[in-house]
Amino acid sequence: MNGRYHFNWPGWSSFVFLLLLWELGARIAPSYRLYLPPITSVMAALAHLIITGAVGRHLLVTLERFLAGYLIAAALGVTLGIALGYFRPLHDLLGVVIELLRPMPSVAIIPVAILTLGIGDSMIVAVTVYASVWSILINTIDGVRHIESTLVDTGRTFGLSRSRILWQIILPGASPYIVTGLRIALSIALILVTTAEMIAGSKGLGFFILDEERSMNSGNMYAGILMVAALGYALNRVFLAAEARLMKWRHGMMARELA
Amino acid sequence: MRAQKINGLLFLVGLMSAWELAARADLLNPLIVPPLSRILGVFWNMLWSGQIPMQILLSMKRAAMGYLLAAAIFIPLGILMGLSQRIYRTLEVIVEVLRPVPPPVVIPVALLFFGLEDEMKIFVIFFSCAWPILLNTIDGVRNIDWVLLNTAKTFRLSRVQTIRRIILPAASPQIMTGLRVSLPIMLILVVISEMVGSTDGIGYFILDAQRRFRVAQMYAGMLTLAILGYALNQLFNLVHRRLLSWHWGMMRRNLE
Repeated sequence: MNGRYHFNWPGWSSFVFLLLLWELGARIAPSYRLYLPPITSVMAALAHLIITGAVGRHLLVTLERFLAGYLIAAALGVTLGIALGYFRPLHDLLGVVIELLRPMPSVAIIPVAILTLGIGDSMIVAVTVYASVWSILINTIDGVRHIESTLVDTGRTFGLSRSRILWQIILPGASPYIVTGLRIALSIALILVTTAEMIAGSKGLGFFILDEERSMNSGNMYAGILMVAALGYALNRVFLAAEARLMKWRHGMMARELA
Repeated sequence: MRAQKINGLLFLVGLMSAWELAARADLLNPLIVPPLSRILGVFWNMLWSGQIPMQILLSMKRAAMGYLLAAAIFIPLGILMGLSQRIYRTLEVIVEVLRPVPPPVVIPVALLFFGLEDEMKIFVIFFSCAWPILLNTIDGVRNIDWVLLNTAKTFRLSRVQTIRRIILPAASPQIMTGLRVSLPIMLILVVISEMVGSTDGIGYFILDAQRRFRVAQMYAGMLTLAILGYALNQLFNLVHRRLLSWHWGMMRRNLE
């Protein structure tokens, strides 16, 4: 990452070669079209779906659920994580329960959520919150624990109020860990949203893809997968950009320390 | 046992008794939260009737095959990509395009190709475990001390010998990291793929119990999964310590 970007010729040529192979294979052996329709017809299906707005609706629904679940998980995980990291007795109390719940694969919560919340938006959001909160919670706890106690003590000596200690010392001090937790949670949240949509739902990209598979519209199915991949990629990009902005002070500080 | 742990355990016991009492006093809807004792009873019965062991066996067979297949293909590939910049550049774009695909959306593709067969789940697990294994292996190989490689050259070790005697051991801590990260992914994906397209396995069992309103069975299935997740992790740690004991021993010696 030194500013100069070398175009990766061998990489892109092998990628294009693969696509050509796919295209030709599908054209030469039409019996495989159901499984692998020519990439051109997948692209045509994608364009058609976008223009008619058929897929935009599902995309919006998925995005909305994702954002709701992810943001709630972030708020919950960071708040709880700071409380648990800061107040040792509280962590002692809840630690065992957390350790018991954590090894269970989060998707196993989906049936319980369906039972309690039905198959609407709230179920999908709840499942997303449950699954993505762990990495944020655990990382925040770690982050708060790793803050040098002299920092907090200095704050106290200077008579900072509790809330200022929280906002000006603990939160910035733990932020690298919190960011790591948030980054891990990003992909988990997307996995859970699409999974829940596949298992129970009548809209959203997860539903769309599985539905198109069941009606043997493989062109539309691949187009839907491309949409999800693009969504995942875009969300990741937005996250990295936001991280670069918010954590700029930190890189500046590190550079100063090194200098 | 430390005093702090005792507080946590007491809290857990308190929580469990509150659940039991609330359920018995009809404060909780029994269709949603049955008494804990009933769940444990159902779990116990299904454990000895062989139902739970069978579901676990079915699921773990699929999981293990996908996981091992991913390891068998992507560790060697990662070594090649880590050693040769040319191979890395050639495959980089394909990897970067496939990697951000959230694993569950691969399930419909797998359904299309394999139907409800075991191969469907194996493929999905294979695909989703591939990336952490591949990327960690590449990193591990790249971070090898070049003095080691030069020493190998000086001693005229053949390529195969260099890979076996030097590269594989030196990169193994990071390869292990990749394998460890993939372990929960494997478990999640076997459950998801069984929920979406299967007629047996622990994932199917839980969802099916919910659909038939056999709530206690559903919770018993979840309990099984939690135990399974925990056991897999412990097992991995055990294997890890065995395989890499030389590594930790070396680290300790270096510190002294």
